[in-house]
Amino acid sequence: MEDHYRMDRTMSTAQDTKISARNVQVHYADNHAIKDVNVEIGDKTVTAFIGPSGCGKSTFLRCLNRMNDTIDICRVGGDILIDGEDIYDPKVDPVQLRAKVGMVFQKPNPFPKSIYDNVAYGPKIHGLAANKAELDQIVERALRRGAIWDEVKDRLHAPGTGLSGGQQQRLCIARAVATEPEVLLMDEPCSALDPIATAQVEELIDELRQNYAVVIVTHSMQQAARVSQKTAFFHLGNLVEYDDTDQIFTNPKDPRTESYISGRIG
Amino acid sequence: MTDATVTPTPAPRTKGKSLMSEDARTKKRNAAEKRFRAYGLGAITVGLLFLVSLLWAIVQNGTPAFTQTFVTLDVALLEEKLDKTGNRDIDEIKKVSTFGYNPLIAEALVTATADIETEVTDKDLKKILSASAAALLRDQVIANPDLIGETVEFRLLASSRVDGYLKGRVTREDLARDKNLDAAHLDLIDVMVEQGSVERVFNWDFILGADASESRPEAAGIGVSMLGSFFMMLVVLFLALPIGVAASIYLEEFAPQNRFTDLIEVNISNLAAVPSIVFGILGLAAFIQFAHLPQSAPIVGGLTLTLMTLPTIVISTRASLKAVPPSIRDAALGVGASKMQSVFHHVLPLAMPGILTGTIIGLAQALGETAPLLLIGMVGFIASNYPDGVASGFLDPNSAMPAQIYEWAKRADPAFYERAWGGIIILLLFLMTMNIIAILLRRKFERRW
Repeated sequence: MEDHYRMDRTMSTAQDTKISARNVQVHYADNHAIKDVNVEIGDKTVTAFIGPSGCGKSTFLRCLNRMNDTIDICRVGGDILIDGEDIYDPKVDPVQLRAKVGMVFQKPNPFPKSIYDNVAYGPKIHGLAANKAELDQIVERALRRGAIWDEVKDRLHAPGTGLSGGQQQRLCIARAVATEPEVLLMDEPCSALDPIATAQVEELIDELRQNYAVVIVTHSMQQAARVSQKTAFFHLGNLVEYDDTDQIFTNPKDPRTESYISGRIG
Repeated sequence: MTDATVTPTPAPRTKGKSLMSEDARTKKRNAAEKRFRAYGLGAITVGLLFLVSLLWAIVQNGTPAFTQTFVTLDVALLEEKLDKTGNRDIDEIKKVSTFGYNPLIAEALVTATADIETEVTDKDLKKILSASAAALLRDQVIANPDLIGETVEFRLLASSRVDGYLKGRVTREDLARDKNLDAAHLDLIDVMVEQGSVERVFNWDFILGADASESRPEAAGIGVSMLGSFFMMLVVLFLALPIGVAASIYLEEFAPQNRFTDLIEVNISNLAAVPSIVFGILGLAAFIQFAHLPQSAPIVGGLTLTLMTLPTIVISTRASLKAVPPSIRDAALGVGASKMQSVFHHVLPLAMPGILTGTIIGLAQALGETAPLLLIGMVGFIASNYPDGVASGFLDPNSAMPAQIYEWAKRADPAFYERAWGGIIILLLFLMTMNIIAILLRRKFERRW
């Protein structure tokens, strides 16, 4: 198992850069939440952000699809480029950006509608389907990618909120991939799930790597070690260390990383 | 772990207190809890008693308004009195006023009571009939001129005293100082009731009819003012709902949080607490004195009540928008919905039950409001005619149900008192219907997440 992952990682490090962040600063009113973060996130790679609570990893993640725009007091500085384009350029419409950069949230948050409508909503508003048949196809493909098709194919019109927590989260992942994003952001996707559901979602994340650049924020170092190829360690708003996951967990360069991994801080 | 099961050493008594007896503290706490339950039960009982006695009083006092006493009379419609030319020219017939019909009624009364022994003089016989009897006769003759020359059976309104006697409101002692009716009339009525020519029947005219002058309480109905209320509610619904909902969506979802929006928020909350009479005088100043809209018109009433209802709708809408979990907004934005799409596709449907409930409660409040109507002149005159159409429904002077009730309650004749209570029953039925609709809509739209 270990070896399998290692081989994957060696392969994936060769991938191109999808997102590059340069000197990113985030202020919440007077609070300097993210300090000068530089990071290059590769395509078709799972990148994990780890760090103690309040270190800014979720804040940084939400910068990548401009979800922070919805918070009035939040100001973002520096440059974040996706495929070489600055996403904070005034010409960029955050709505278009978010179709390209999908997001899965900490708590499963399906719409209180049917499973089908949950998945079909994104494609509908982005006009991805010309007719009902195409939409059906998109929904099926997304649900298959979300590894939940077999469980829900017979009750697509049952409410999405009636599913179990793990199924809801996979439904949310299916909903996120239905809009054909290129990047998938996941903000602690397993923190509300039991171990079995967590295992299913982790397996799914590994599969998603075939098609997307996946960025995952996690509290669990084991999870980061299990699913990611690259890991970034945040502490007090600083990006302390960013390297291959192997390196971070076996041979951290920064003493703070080492303390966190060995459980002395955090 | 296993040791414990093998050697069951009984716990030494001295170590802790026994669970079998309550200590002082627990006793005190339990007593406090019991007392509180008793208070609560007492409060509910008192509330229920008030409610029951209120409903009892309303039903007791109001139900008589729904029946009315009629006198059945055979009236000879003499041609020489009603149509002297004899060619049934409708314009000629219309020239005969109600005064022309009074002698016919008097004659009919004399004929009807001919075989009854009574002290009532022929001249005083007409006191048992409502003053509106002649008008009713005239209306029917004009509607159907062929009746002239024949003897036709009419059911005419009895006077309010006779009606009160049949309802137990008027007794012989009451009439000692009453010049409207004498005790002798009542003896006559007793006989006529036995004969079947005087009877109490269900009073559709009360529900559908128009108000009548102060001397004819028996003819007064709430129908026209009900229509006034209806047109006012239309105005309130079509103005307050869109304006209120749009304002609250903007304030809640789009507006930046700053001093200015804070100020607006505080002011909206304050407006909800402003006495309704203040809105009345505002309506008078703004809509009648400044905008020169017609006085006493339902459109002015509706506009004034809209001002009053807006804060209620805004507050309840904002509360129900706030209650939608932010994760739903995140989810919508996360799949690339615009702010507006996230609000209209996801937040608003979830907030719908609350918005609808707030709106209907606001409307119900407006429907029962009297004070602002005093100031814009929807009280204090006789709403005697149905409006001719939708436009005049909005623009012609009219009254409203609560204003009509107020009007009746302040009139001198005790017969109006019964009408006021009856009006309250109808008003309450409307309010109850609206509340039931609110509950049903809530049930229908309620979704869990």
